[in-house]
Amino acid sequence: MKRILLIAGVILTAVPLSAWAQTTAVGRWTMPRTPDGHPDLQGTWTTQTYTPLQRPERFAGREFLTEQEMVELTKLVTQDGVDPLAAGVLAAGDDERSQRIQQADPTHYNNAVWLATPQPKALSSRRTSLIGDPSDGRLPPLTSEGQKRAAARRAAIGFDSYENRPLQERCVVWTHEGPPMMPPPYNDVFRILQTPGYVVVHRELTTNLPRIIPTDGRPPLSGRIRQWAGDSRGRWEGDTLVVETANFNDKAAIQGSSAALRVVERFTRVSADRILYHFTVDDPTTWSRPWSAELPMMKTEGRQYEYACHEGNYGMVNTLRGARVADKRAADAAAPR
Amino acid sequence: MRRILATAATAITLMVHLQSVSAHHAFSAEFDANQPVTLKGAVTRVEWINPHSWVHIDVKDAGGKVVSWKVEMGAPNQLLRRGWNKNSFPVDMEIVVEGYRAKNGSDIANGGNITLGDGRQLFVGSSGTGAPYDEKKK
Repeated sequence: MKRILLIAGVILTAVPLSAWAQTTAVGRWTMPRTPDGHPDLQGTWTTQTYTPLQRPERFAGREFLTEQEMVELTKLVTQDGVDPLAAGVLAAGDDERSQRIQQADPTHYNNAVWLATPQPKALSSRRTSLIGDPSDGRLPPLTSEGQKRAAARRAAIGFDSYENRPLQERCVVWTHEGPPMMPPPYNDVFRILQTPGYVVVHRELTTNLPRIIPTDGRPPLSGRIRQWAGDSRGRWEGDTLVVETANFNDKAAIQGSSAALRVVERFTRVSADRILYHFTVDDPTTWSRPWSAELPMMKTEGRQYEYACHEGNYGMVNTLRGARVADKRAADAAAPR
Repeated sequence: MRRILATAATAITLMVHLQSVSAHHAFSAEFDANQPVTLKGAVTRVEWINPHSWVHIDVKDAGGKVVSWKVEMGAPNQLLRRGWNKNSFPVDMEIVVEGYRAKNGSDIANGGNITLGDGRQLFVGSSGTGAPYDEKKK
């Protein structure tokens, strides 16, 4: 029954994202406000969706799914046994999709069981890609500097030391953390709190502290101070919270970015249960032009739990030890007899 | 030849990794897909911690010797949301783990699927993953 309701809900809400604001503006819903008059964004939210960042080839020239496609895809991905980590669901052809939604890596724990959410993960909008600008829904081409940096970062990944392992495996920072805040693979729950002069965005699946964003007009930090999540300053433009972030370090690497990264996020509450989250990413050392994406933050129930990634990260030790065993086997095999 | 195989293995690992790129770490780097294990034993300890929880079980080997295995499971937060907690695995509860042994050769495995000793699914609400390795068991 829950699933039928979900699909019905998708049909009812299956309007293109950018049309939401117009739709709701004339509806009966009234913007909730904090005592200081700003839109009230507070609550517990999720961004879970199978929508890819970049538009798959099969949807070239189409920014939105049809209602029929939305219904069919929702039915497909919300059935029992679908891997919440499945990637490329929209990119796959009709025949391939039933395979694509299944778990590919048997050495992982059973995702369909362990990562199931009370509200099944589905498509959060009819968008064929989160990226809306450029209009082809794809990341702009990398600059030559961006290409060299990407190659160097790829070459640095290995098994010699913990320092060669990806940052998220080391519990330093996940690639989705941002800003911009991309949907995480699981534990996709975050809270927003507002006080006079601050907005706090606290994600569950984070290795960093909650984002405490001043909105009181204070100047940004000196450019000499570099942080994993950069330095954010917020302001209200009408009913939209605009957050500008710079001062990243050169390691956080949002989609391959550098320390020159600048991000502008826009949070607009568009209904009782949705915030439209739009962001623009600019890093001239990485991409030939800025790019933008948008996705809904959907109201969700329940608690947020501590993540504390380092506490049980035995996987790092086991992985490196496994690599040493493999090294020894290879050396033994190569040794003259 | 070994180098070619290693390169091919790396490429395949990368492909698998790309498909589930968002997981905390690549289990394929930690566990050996060529060493499936089925472990039946009693729970001795549960570590309900992120990024992955662990259950420790005592398993009797073929010679009757008790071997302590550590089994890596999913992130606990999602299970908390579904009403499960650390006490869902009481000490002495007998469970069966189907998974893969760690590449480092020690008594560590991933908890691919976990069932109760009497065959009942430990995690209610799932009718199976439909994944290729699940289908094989049917």
